[in-house]
Amino acid sequence: MAVFKALAAEIFKMFAADLWLTIAAVASVALAAAALRAGLVQAAALPFFLAAAIVVALAIGVVRGARP
Amino acid sequence: MISLATAAPTVGAAFVASSVEAVEAFTIVLAVSVVRGIRPAALGAGAALVILALVVAILGPLLAAVPVRGLQLVIGLLLLVFGLGWLRKAVLRAGGALSLHDEAATFEKQTRALRDEAHARGRAADWLAGMVAFKAVLLEGTEVVFIVLAIGARPGLLLPAAVGAAGACVLVLALGLALRAPLARIPENSMKFVVGALLTGFGVFWCCEGLGAPWPGGDLAILPLVGFYLAAGLVLAASVRAVRARTA
Repeated sequence: MAVFKALAAEIFKMFAADLWLTIAAVASVALAAAALRAGLVQAAALPFFLAAAIVVALAIGVVRGARP
Repeated sequence: MISLATAAPTVGAAFVASSVEAVEAFTIVLAVSVVRGIRPAALGAGAALVILALVVAILGPLLAAVPVRGLQLVIGLLLLVFGLGWLRKAVLRAGGALSLHDEAATFEKQTRALRDEAHARGRAADWLAGMVAFKAVLLEGTEVVFIVLAIGARPGLLLPAAVGAAGACVLVLALGLALRAPLARIPENSMKFVVGALLTGFGVFWCCEGLGAPWPGGDLAILPLVGFYLAAGLVLAASVRAVRARTA
């Protein structure tokens, strides 16, 4: 039983060690999908927007993690 | 036929990611073999490896039945979340905001705990030691299995991903058996840095493919994308280091 509990904790940790970062990444992809569907961003430009949004999410995640 | 440009990043990502996890699992299996002998260590680790191999063998072909577009988006998102977590942690460690993982300390701690258990439990200690090895390989291997399944989810890529992961495990085992010591000199955080950038790059690439917005240059775009996240991570780590030096 302890092994299963540890396994569940490990799987949770894999995807949600920093919940803010997980939510930011999922929200970035969801916003990109919505913008594409609404015609606000062209398909050719979307990869660059998403790549940039992910760097911003990473930077904020690092700043939050580096705070004492 | 898979092109080299497609297979090489897959093999490389699986190899480096699996090396990191294999080193961590090996430290604990080594502690078990030093305290209780090779038998419980090999049985525990072997049983976990069989389970992990079965999971890949069962889930891998099942993923091939899922529509490609939806699969790319879901797997891309999972890779992105997983890779970003690794990259963030590696940046914080490189910047000095988090302490580095110390395999020698883990080995010492595990060895002491197993010796204490052996005194308290007598012959049952072998069973317990086997379970410790089993749990270590199963837990560290879960991340390897996820990486292999995720980056091997496109048609024809499961085998290259599995080969990369298996190669890493064999190499770590061979190095560990030759040294009979925890692999403390392996630059684990640098490897995690690279893996984090690789998985984040794969994740962003696949999310875009899944959304119907393919990258210019096709699969070749993965390499500059990974380089972009690696560079961003290095800049962030340097910034964290500079800020910490200024406020210290």
